[in-house]
Amino acid sequence: MKILVVDDSKAMRAIVKRALSGLDRVAGATIVEAADGKEALGVVQAESPDLVLSDWNMPEMTGIEFLQALNEAGLTPVFGFVTSESTPEMHELAKTHGARFLVSKPFTPASLDEALAKAL
Amino acid sequence: MHTTYTDLTAISQEIWAAVLGIELRPATPGQVHAEEVRVVTGTVQITGDWSGATTVQVSEELACRLAATMFMMAIEDVTDEEVTDTVGELANMTGGNVKSTLEGSCQLSLPAVTSGRDFRVTVPGSGVKERLAFDADGELVVVTLFERQSAG
Repeated sequence: MKILVVDDSKAMRAIVKRALSGLDRVAGATIVEAADGKEALGVVQAESPDLVLSDWNMPEMTGIEFLQALNEAGLTPVFGFVTSESTPEMHELAKTHGARFLVSKPFTPASLDEALAKAL
Repeated sequence: MHTTYTDLTAISQEIWAAVLGIELRPATPGQVHAEEVRVVTGTVQITGDWSGATTVQVSEELACRLAATMFMMAIEDVTDEEVTDTVGELANMTGGNVKSTLEGSCQLSLPAVTSGRDFRVTVPGSGVKERLAFDADGELVVVTLFERQSAG
């Protein structure tokens, strides 16, 4: 399995990677990274990840714009948001565009695992 | 605007515990960093049906320790980039969680981080709605919520 972690914060990417490394569900997965939606779009095209975990609020291209771009390109990895913002409107917008879950920051490895259990 | 003192306390404590494993304990209200201390400030602005900003302020020394924890690295290897990233993300999570308590449509800015000695943070047109002081392993943490005065 290959997982793409997208966040403009290097610290948050480190935290997400650390959480993933402790989950049996994704044991042995290769993790690749991108710092914004624009970079992530290129990584998806080049690396074909099975799962994308993306922040929402990022420079260059936001998470929801990234998801829309994936849809327009016909690229359909399992997609979930990991974001500090979590309003009902964002949940609805994410779901409408095909995101499988939205995990709020701060998260625990358990809450991330719970979200992945439903999506994978 | 429905974010309360209790909400901001709970939001801050949850973030620090989950991300850094640090318990934030309420300190003397109104406490701020001494003039001689170099302070790192992370700020995010919220605009829309409610407008304001949140700031997270820590000493440069604590900021380096936090970055070392976030990146699981030795404190002497921490760079300015990692300090900025860490404090910016703490502000981002605080602002994002505040935004989640708001009604209506709002947007969150990307975080901005500044550092220096003896400076005051003001958000034009805004006043301090809440200012919380915490003790984090013996170090002061100040979290402030600004509200734009013209907001309804």
